[in-house]
Amino acid sequence: MDSVPNISPNELERLSDKDKAELRQFIGNETQRAKIQTQTHSMTEICWTKCITANSKGNKLDSSEQSCLGNCVDRFLDLNLATLKHLSSMRN
Amino acid sequence: MDSEAVKNAIIKQVQLESNMNNAKQLIEACSAAAPFLSNCFQRCVPKPGSSLSSSESSCATSCMEKYMAAWNLVNASYVKRIQQEVNSHGFQT
Repeated sequence: MDSVPNISPNELERLSDKDKAELRQFIGNETQRAKIQTQTHSMTEICWTKCITANSKGNKLDSSEQSCLGNCVDRFLDLNLATLKHLSSMRN
Repeated sequence: MDSEAVKNAIIKQVQLESNMNNAKQLIEACSAAAPFLSNCFQRCVPKPGSSLSSSESSCATSCMEKYMAAWNLVNASYVKRIQQEVNSHGFQT
């Protein structure tokens, strides 16, 4: 953390409009990435519990574990979308 | 600092914090702090002894590596799915 200089408010004033726009874009992308990473963490917890058995050995995923994890993500998102659809139909 | 330098400093700061945060969440998931069942501590140290044995610690290392591989696979599947949803009919998170 020590290599990052502190930025004071009056230094922020020095940003050009072009750099401000670039920063806004950058922050937007980073926010999106952080959301996806957070969701990835929670899905990894869920799918790890489902797909990786207690006697699973070694540091690599075998092919059945890999396909289980991929399916787990897809079915989780299917359910997610189906729930959203159902909720919005109940509203009408 | 000129505009460019301020911008780069902000970008660097945001990236650093975001990476730290991501690593923190990963460590929490792999450690004993998380209450869910199959984390590395539960799996590798079923009956804690007076010290961490070498087999326990090598189990924890491979468990963590496997967990990271699972994280990457889940992330890739998720990103792929998001792209599919965006392509087919626009997607809102």
